[in-house]
Amino acid sequence: MKILGGLALFVLIGTAGYGQVLDLKGLEKLAAKASDVTDVTLDGSLLRLAAKFLSADDPDQAKVKKLVAELKGVYVKTYEFAHEGEYSESDIASIRSQLGAPGWSRIVGVKSKKDRDNTEIYLKTGGAEPGGLAIVCTNPKELVVVNIVGKIDLDELSELGDLGVPKIDIEKAKPAKPADKKDND
Amino acid sequence: MSNLEDDLRIALRREEPAADFTERVLARLNQPAPAEPTWLERLAVLMRPPRLQWVAVAMIVSVVIPAATVEYRGERAKQQLLVAMRVTGTKLHQAQRKVVETGRMGTRL
Repeated sequence: MKILGGLALFVLIGTAGYGQVLDLKGLEKLAAKASDVTDVTLDGSLLRLAAKFLSADDPDQAKVKKLVAELKGVYVKTYEFAHEGEYSESDIASIRSQLGAPGWSRIVGVKSKKDRDNTEIYLKTGGAEPGGLAIVCTNPKELVVVNIVGKIDLDELSELGDLGVPKIDIEKAKPAKPADKKDND
Repeated sequence: MSNLEDDLRIALRREEPAADFTERVLARLNQPAPAEPTWLERLAVLMRPPRLQWVAVAMIVSVVIPAATVEYRGERAKQQLLVAMRVTGTKLHQAQRKVVETGRMGTRL
């Protein structure tokens, strides 16, 4: 039932309201250890500028343009490490602490023992409407933290096929019985 | 040869200045010094055609450089946004896939 609940949330999540910006400064020290770093920091004014440069003729860029229209900020940090153990749970403790604050809710948590991946998706709820999105993915050699502030449609976001995200039809793959190997809430 | 000498002699012969020469020189010397130009005259000097070209160049540069900067920042922000959306979409997709796979495993059990 947990999986069904998670799936239902995934499918039914529509729009989110305005959320809070996470403080990701604690991660910056990892850049020195990482072999590959992606650091995207786009506040409201830069997002509006970027949106002006997106082509309306390109279907995928048009989708992104529509998606970012009501965003207030996009912050993404990814760190890839050459070896395991170059970062620890304490490095992301401050982020988990912020996501544990009132207003943030974990809507999906996927733990893979085989790949040693741990993916958590959080939504910021503010008042009547949910707001903001946070994704924390940990892997022995990789750390990804995403924070999107503003209204966002997760379905549309996951449909950005040409940006490397093939669409997946959840309706056709409805689970009949939950598995107990993975933790999904 | 003698013609040349004659020509030179004529050309270099001594001539007395006109009668009013001294008067004219003294009159010129007694003229008052030109007045210091006013700010309006100085501005007018700036706007003379040769300087106007430099003003035009300065105006073009002051428009072109900011426009190029905005273009650069916008293009960079766009690329960053596309990277961010790709990372976010990929992670969402991976989570979805794992949830679905887990569901399938549950169906088989």
